[in-house]
Amino acid sequence: MASERPLLDASPDAPSPLPPASSLLPPPQREPPLRAERLAFSVDIPDPFIPSSHRDHQPDPSASQREPQEGDESRAVFVGESSGAFVGNSIRTAKYSVLTFLPRNLFEQFRRLSYVYFLAITVLNQLPQVAVFGRGASVLPLAFVLFVTAVKDAYEDFRRHRSDRQENNRLAAVLAPGTAREFSPKKWKHIRVGDVVRVASSETLPADMVLLATSDSTGVAHVQTLNLDGETNLKTRYAKQETQLRFSQDGSIGGVLHCERPNRNIYGFQANLEIDGKRVSLGPSNIVLRGCELKNTTWAIGVVVYTGKETKVMLNSSGAPSKRSRLETQLNRETVILSIMLIGMCTTASVLAGIWLLNHRGDLEFTQFFREKDYTTGKNYNYYGMGMQIFITFLMAVIVYQVIIPISLYISMELVRLGQAYFMGADKDLYDESSRSKFQCRALNINEDLGQVKYVFSDKTGTLTENKMEFQCASIRGVDYSSGKDTDGYSVVVDDLIWTPKMEVRTDPQLLKLLRGGGTDEERMLFLEFFLALAACNTIVPLVLDTRDPKQKLIDYQGESPDEQALVYAAASYGIVLVERTSGYVVIDVLGERRRFDILGLHEFDSDRKRMSVIVGCPDKTVKLYVKGADSSLFGITKKSLELDIVRATEAHLHTYSSLGLRTLVVGMRELSRPEFEEWQLAYENASTAVLGRGNLLRSVAANIESSVHILGATGIEDKLQDGVPEAIESLRQADIKVWILTGDKQETAISIGYSCKLLTNDMTQIVINNNSKESCRKSLEEALATTKKLRITSSIGMLSPELASESAGITLALIIDGNSLVYILETELQEELFKVARECSVVLCCRVAPLQKAGIVALIKNRTDDMTLAIGDGANDVSMIQMADVGVGISGQEGRQAVMASDFSMGQFRFLLPLLLVHGHWNYQRMSYMILYNFYKNATFVLVLFWYVLYTAFTLTTAITEWSSLLYTVLYTSLPTIVVGILDKDLSKATLLAYPKLYGSGQRDEKYNVNLFILNMLEALWQSLVVFYMPYFAYRQSTIDMSSLGDLWALAPVIVVNMQLATDIFRWNWIIHAFVWGTIAATTICLFVIDSIWILPGYGAIFHIMGTGLFWLLLLIIAVAAMVPHFVIKAFAEYFTPSDIQIAREMEKVDDVNQGKRSEIL
Amino acid sequence: MSSQAAGSSSGGSGDGGAPRRNSRKPKYSKFTQQELPACKPILTPKWVISVFVLVGIIFVPIGVVSLMASKKVVEIVDRYDDACVPDNTTDKLAYIQNSTIPKTCTRTLKVPKDMKSPIFVYYQLDNFYQNHRRYVKSRSDKQLRDASKANDTSTCDPESTINGVAIVPCGLIAWSTFNDTYVLAHNSKNLTVDKKDISWKSDREHKFGSDVFPKNFQKGSLIGGKALDPNKSLSEQEDLIVWMRTAALPTFRKLYGRIHVNLTENDTITVTLENNYNTYSFGGKKKLVLSTSTWLGGKNDFLGLAYLSVGGLCFFLAFAFTLLYLIKPRNLGDNNYLSWNRSPAGR
Repeated sequence: MASERPLLDASPDAPSPLPPASSLLPPPQREPPLRAERLAFSVDIPDPFIPSSHRDHQPDPSASQREPQEGDESRAVFVGESSGAFVGNSIRTAKYSVLTFLPRNLFEQFRRLSYVYFLAITVLNQLPQVAVFGRGASVLPLAFVLFVTAVKDAYEDFRRHRSDRQENNRLAAVLAPGTAREFSPKKWKHIRVGDVVRVASSETLPADMVLLATSDSTGVAHVQTLNLDGETNLKTRYAKQETQLRFSQDGSIGGVLHCERPNRNIYGFQANLEIDGKRVSLGPSNIVLRGCELKNTTWAIGVVVYTGKETKVMLNSSGAPSKRSRLETQLNRETVILSIMLIGMCTTASVLAGIWLLNHRGDLEFTQFFREKDYTTGKNYNYYGMGMQIFITFLMAVIVYQVIIPISLYISMELVRLGQAYFMGADKDLYDESSRSKFQCRALNINEDLGQVKYVFSDKTGTLTENKMEFQCASIRGVDYSSGKDTDGYSVVVDDLIWTPKMEVRTDPQLLKLLRGGGTDEERMLFLEFFLALAACNTIVPLVLDTRDPKQKLIDYQGESPDEQALVYAAASYGIVLVERTSGYVVIDVLGERRRFDILGLHEFDSDRKRMSVIVGCPDKTVKLYVKGADSSLFGITKKSLELDIVRATEAHLHTYSSLGLRTLVVGMRELSRPEFEEWQLAYENASTAVLGRGNLLRSVAANIESSVHILGATGIEDKLQDGVPEAIESLRQADIKVWILTGDKQETAISIGYSCKLLTNDMTQIVINNNSKESCRKSLEEALATTKKLRITSSIGMLSPELASESAGITLALIIDGNSLVYILETELQEELFKVARECSVVLCCRVAPLQKAGIVALIKNRTDDMTLAIGDGANDVSMIQMADVGVGISGQEGRQAVMASDFSMGQFRFLLPLLLVHGHWNYQRMSYMILYNFYKNATFVLVLFWYVLYTAFTLTTAITEWSSLLYTVLYTSLPTIVVGILDKDLSKATLLAYPKLYGSGQRDEKYNVNLFILNMLEALWQSLVVFYMPYFAYRQSTIDMSSLGDLWALAPVIVVNMQLATDIFRWNWIIHAFVWGTIAATTICLFVIDSIWILPGYGAIFHIMGTGLFWLLLLIIAVAAMVPHFVIKAFAEYFTPSDIQIAREMEKVDDVNQGKRSEIL
Repeated sequence: MSSQAAGSSSGGSGDGGAPRRNSRKPKYSKFTQQELPACKPILTPKWVISVFVLVGIIFVPIGVVSLMASKKVVEIVDRYDDACVPDNTTDKLAYIQNSTIPKTCTRTLKVPKDMKSPIFVYYQLDNFYQNHRRYVKSRSDKQLRDASKANDTSTCDPESTINGVAIVPCGLIAWSTFNDTYVLAHNSKNLTVDKKDISWKSDREHKFGSDVFPKNFQKGSLIGGKALDPNKSLSEQEDLIVWMRTAALPTFRKLYGRIHVNLTENDTITVTLENNYNTYSFGGKKKLVLSTSTWLGGKNDFLGLAYLSVGGLCFFLAFAFTLLYLIKPRNLGDNNYLSWNRSPAGR
């Protein structure tokens, strides 16, 4: 630990720590209260400087008390005083308590409409007039389904309760009230806003706290935010000098803190602290958040500002987004058809019942099986006249035929998805070794959508590329130095120890020579400025790591931006080594000479300005502004007239770099005169202590000072493609998935990346839309449309299908469009045109797009077509796109965890998209489609058997099948095999699916689930129900057969038939599937045995009786065969004479297996 | 549920909350990688044809045997409901309901073929919905078995109590037990009809109590059928037990008894019957059936014909598929048939 402390860390006992390493540094100032005042020390600016800033910061106590309260926009925290006014720190992720579980869980479950339907039917059945099933039996299926779901929910909630309890009972050291430096342990749940908490190294923070002091004399603390955003690098947080000093002097703490109301922005925080009559501004770098771990810092003390559910981590822990899969939506259409069938059957039954009653209306009294009257009362028994009787029959029919809408389907689908998610997570091909991240299914209800994707919208940086930046080229003052070859590691010597940067960057020998004194002093100065800008203008923190050799240390540059890391490593390799960074200064080893630069102000990067800058107080007492940013942004603020040559040369270099696929940055500098500096300082201090609108104020301050800069040079950083990206894109395109790249990069960079990942090829016709006005956009869109039409016509001559033509004719179109044009196109009437053009193009590249535009592009396709869209990205800027798309995939990469948190699926690498879509997506879709259709079919078969019987019971809805069997049919007799098949069956092996990406098309074309297949299934159900019913009917006509025996046959036969149907459709028989398919038939028989062993039921002994007759077995055999003949014929015919691609691929697999003499499959 | 589903909950159900990074590498096993050894059946022509031929080979003989069995059965069916009402009766319902009129009726049956003992005597009712919802529900199985549950008549409406006293056995089914009786004579010698063991053994032993006796039975204003001997326990009332095995279909037979005598062709049998049972109100038919039996049961050609047709159909299909396979052969697993290899024929 100690070795990783910053260089200038002094032991806490030393009252005035002298930096041991550098004698060059000015003596450290005693407790400078503000950065600006520190400047007064270090650069020795005369006194008048101070009062102005000081005066400005004299707070008017009354005003400051009032201000934060207005608009209820902020909260006041009295440091050291527990406040009961805010929520406690105990958290609760559990949804239910013991008491509320039942009502709340039931409420949640009944939000599903289908469950309400089943409940209504169950309630209906409780009416004595329409009671078809006994009370117990009728509640059973719904109760079963509710119970299974409730158990699942309860278990999950129990785990949440347990972790909540553990979390809430953890201990933290809290400052005892009224004491100084006396910390006593307190449970997390008892911590309140205003408490002062002490956290030791590697401890987790119990709440969101503003840092007051740390073990580091400069007030630096490092935190790891792994639990918050998943990033493993360390982030630096600072305690304000004011509090840090006060605490280190006498351990006292105090003041009033005004901060924003709780919000979920992890990266934003605005507050000010009133201490000793001064107002100190606090920003995101002063707050440490709950869930983070303190690292490399012995201790830190902070005041709690947000607790419990108001902490940022809790506010951000919204669950996975809920989306509905396409199949589930389509399934509703079939449910409607089935409902119509249900109503039709009920109407038929009730009308026929009415007719029967009409025909027999005179006979009912003396007919033994009806006997209208109850002679004890002399009134009609259970007979309410014709109209009512018809109505009651209708209701009863609804109850009897309810299973046609399969109640078990929903729970089966959930279980199947759970199983599928398990296998996706367990797939070794989806495991990323480098980041050690497993595939995660975050949304459990859209697994099957992965099999139908037609558009993939991909982010570039971090998704296609590794986001591990490597410095490649530098252009300094219009001269290009990019012939980097050697990697002679540069090290600095500190206290006789050798410190070496962790990563080595190839250096250009010429540049190195020039730097080391090869050129004129003036030249050298410029080079130095360039690298100083790289080393200073960033937020990188150097960490010093031990190596095995005690003399050797490693410098690890930690920071939030990989680009900055690359730049700092590059500067270090050229000899300008960033050695230390605190909130107030940086120490840079310039070619062996240690220098201290005061960081007087930092204008953070934002996407409007597209640049960042620092104001640096140099050792030579000058004040400089270093700025780096995008070329467009920087060239806009240069003094072009003065250095036109340099700008031109640099522009030319930038063009070369970006066409190589490099990310470019331009670096600039400006020396500030004293008045300029003063003016800026005033504005900066004002802006940075503002509680409201601070961001905007700071931005305008930055914009003011960032002007007329000199161009120092430009850099080119390589963003390496991830492994397997070109191959993955190639396969995706073969699978007819359109890949769109949406990137914030420049057009040239985007195009070059497009080439390197094989998205763009040389035989493509590129349409570039890059305009600055609506009119020109309209024009280029029209032109583009004309081009596509022309191409289509020429290529479709002699072709039947235009779609195939544009694919196979070799004239593929690529559309390249930039964010500027999109501003004029999206959300206007031009959208339609863009959509038309984009549809014709097989490749679309959008560059320089803003996050919201990304979502807009996804919406463009999603709202206009039925095609499934998938968005994949890794950064916070992809979140909107990920949420917009039908399927959102997050890459758990370098850019934090927000994309993953918003995604439906997360994984480690772009190339995993291939196994995910082509293999698992295909399987999931195929399995789920089959399972849904099969569930419809099997229940329809059964219901139709019930229906035919009603025709022979004077239409009175008697079921020969016992009520237990008819209710168990859907939940027990037939549901398990479909679940297992839905999880385990595979039509094709992984290898085949990856080898032939075009097989993916079956999902895109809805081949496995559509109305035709549904109708076919229903016709099969019709035929099979007729066979199941009428074979026994004719065989037992005019015999002594009793209802229970025949009912048992009619219960067992459909189970056998539907399992036979399943058996003929199963692609791969492994032992588990065997066990479940045959086991189910056995289990059904056992259930029938059990039911017929209950003497209280009329059917007592029936199954044993009927199984003793030969006729029963012969009937079962002929039913099974006769029912399967049409299915078998259709299957045999279709598979041989109109084979699908999948069928041929299956045969190929089989042929291969046979050739290799193997029975088992090997990938 | 299944072992797979249970195992998966740990992997899949992690929701929101803390990100689980640095997860352990999934363990390789054939199960988790979905590579369990499996058999991959494909409907090759060989398979299709052999399946059809096999089914044909099995089904045709079964059909022949079943048909022969059915043909062997000798059956005498005599409908008597109309014939046993005097010709001059206009209101058949009034006739049958009037208990003062003697209902004896004599029928003569001719034996068409030799009949071997045992000969089963059935009565057949047509159009009698023993499966009518009102009817099947109107019984109390508890009461039938357990003497202490005699008052358990809640399910028996509208035939549960008379003047508040429970009926045993209650319910419409018991109330409407068939009460025609047959006395058979052959060559003016009485044929003994054995009425023992006509019901299921399981019913006698477990469903109908040996200590439950009819009580308050058939005392209502409307007589539905047979009156039971109050001194015989329900388990001995075999006609009731047979009747209470409600028939599945509206046309049904119920066993009346057995004759342990062989009959020869052209024998005449005289049946003296009591025509008590009311089927006239709903137009039901009553028939007396004498039938022999085989391993397959009574006379019914359907099963044999069904087996023959399915078997025949399968032979035909085998033939048809053979033809098709010959006319339009295709190499299995030939990747030239893949749609994207097939389409641009011209290129």
